[in-house]
Amino acid sequence: MGDEEKKKGGFFRAVKEFVYGVAAHDSARFALKSRANMEHLFILITMGDMLGVPILPPYYSLRLLPYVVPQISTWKRRMLREKDLTDALA
Amino acid sequence: MILISLTTIFEKYPDRRYIMFGGKGGLGKTTFSAATAYYLAKKGKRVLVFSVDPQASLSDIFKKDIFGKGPTEIMPNLYAQEIDADRRIKEYQQEIRQKILDMYGMDAIPEEIESYIQAAAAEPAMEESAIFDEVVDIVVKGGYDYYIYDLVPLGHALYYLSMASVYDEWIDKITNLRQQMREYDQVAAVIRRDKELDEDAILNELLYIKERINKSSSILTDKKKTAFFFVITAEQMIITDTLKAAELFAKFDVPLSGYVVNRVLPESLNQQDIPEYLRNRLVMQEKYMKVIDETFKDQILAYVPEMDRDVTGLEMIEKLANKMFGDI
Repeated sequence: MGDEEKKKGGFFRAVKEFVYGVAAHDSARFALKSRANMEHLFILITMGDMLGVPILPPYYSLRLLPYVVPQISTWKRRMLREKDLTDALA
Repeated sequence: MILISLTTIFEKYPDRRYIMFGGKGGLGKTTFSAATAYYLAKKGKRVLVFSVDPQASLSDIFKKDIFGKGPTEIMPNLYAQEIDADRRIKEYQQEIRQKILDMYGMDAIPEEIESYIQAAAAEPAMEESAIFDEVVDIVVKGGYDYYIYDLVPLGHALYYLSMASVYDEWIDKITNLRQQMREYDQVAAVIRRDKELDEDAILNELLYIKERINKSSSILTDKKKTAFFFVITAEQMIITDTLKAAELFAKFDVPLSGYVVNRVLPESLNQQDIPEYLRNRLVMQEKYMKVIDETFKDQILAYVPEMDRDVTGLEMIEKLANKMFGDI
C-alpha cells in the first residue's frame, strides 16, 4: 500500500467519523442513555433489597448478581442521590 | 361407606405419578406419605418419598437418619430423601462467589457484594426457595415411577404454590424489560456499525430461571400426573380450615383427588366399658363424621383408624398402609 492510498483511507475515515458525529452520534448516545436508565431500573427490580426494597425472591436474584457486580456501586450512588426516584426513569 | 377407595384412585389413574398429602400440621401427612410409598413399593413400583419441609420428619418415621444424604433406600423399591436446605444454600452462595471471582479476575469479593450474598441467604424465603429449586432437580432427574411429596403444613403449602405463580409473573415482566434493553443495544449497535452484539448472559439466566419455575408449577397443577389428597380429622376447626384451603388450592388449579379421614376411633368402643372422657370423644366424633360425610361426600377415599401407638418403623407403616389401602 502506497502513502497516497493510506492518506486516502485516512481521509475517508475522517469523513465517515465526521458524518457519524453530525448525523448519528446523538441518536446512538440517546439509545445508550435509555439503555443505561433501563439498566438501573433492571438492577433496582432485581437487586432492590440491597437498598432495603425487597422485590424478588433472593434465591434467584443471587443468580443474577455476578453479572451486575460492576454496576452496583454506580447504581447505588444514583439511586441514593437526593432526587425523586422517577427522575431516574425519565 | 367407602365409595371410591384410595386403591381405586391409584389403579384407575396410573399416570398420576406425583402424589401429595396436604393438611394442617400434625394430622398425619408424613405418615400417609410413608404408608403410600410403602404400598406402591410393595406393588413393585419404584418410589421416592421426599420432604419439602425444612423441619422434615421422614428420618423419624423410617427410623433412619437420611437428612441431607440424597435418596436413601429404605426397602426394595422404596427410597426416601430429606433435603438439607442449609447446605444447598451454602453451596449455592459459594458457587455465586466463585462465578464473580472468575468473571472479573478478582482475588476477593468486594465487601458490598459479600454482605449482599450473606444477607440474601438470611431471608426467610430462602430455605423454601432452595428446597423448591432442589425439587425441580429431583423431578427432572427422573428414575422413579412415583414421587411422593411430604408436604409442609397448609399455610406453607399455599405459600409454596403461590410462590410458583408469583415467580412466574415476575420473571415474565423482567424478561420483557431485559428484551427491551436488548433492542436499545441493537439500535446503538446498528447506528455505530458495531459488528456483533455480545450475547446477553442475564437474559439467558432469566430464561433459565423461568424454565425451572415453570417446570415445578406445571407439575403441581398437572391434572393428569398429579394427585393431591387432603388429610382431615373429625374436628370442627380442621373441617373449616380444610374447606378454606381447598378453595384456595382450587384457585391455583391444584387437582384435588380426594380426602382421607385420619384418627378415627373405632365405634366398637361404644359397646365396651369406657371412661367418660373417651365416651365424649366418641360422641363428638360421631357428630363431626356426619358433617364430614355431608360436606365431602364421595370425595372421601378412606377412613384410617387411630393406631394404638405412634407410627414409626416399617412394621407400623405396613399396618397403617393395610388400613389405608386394604390388605396389601
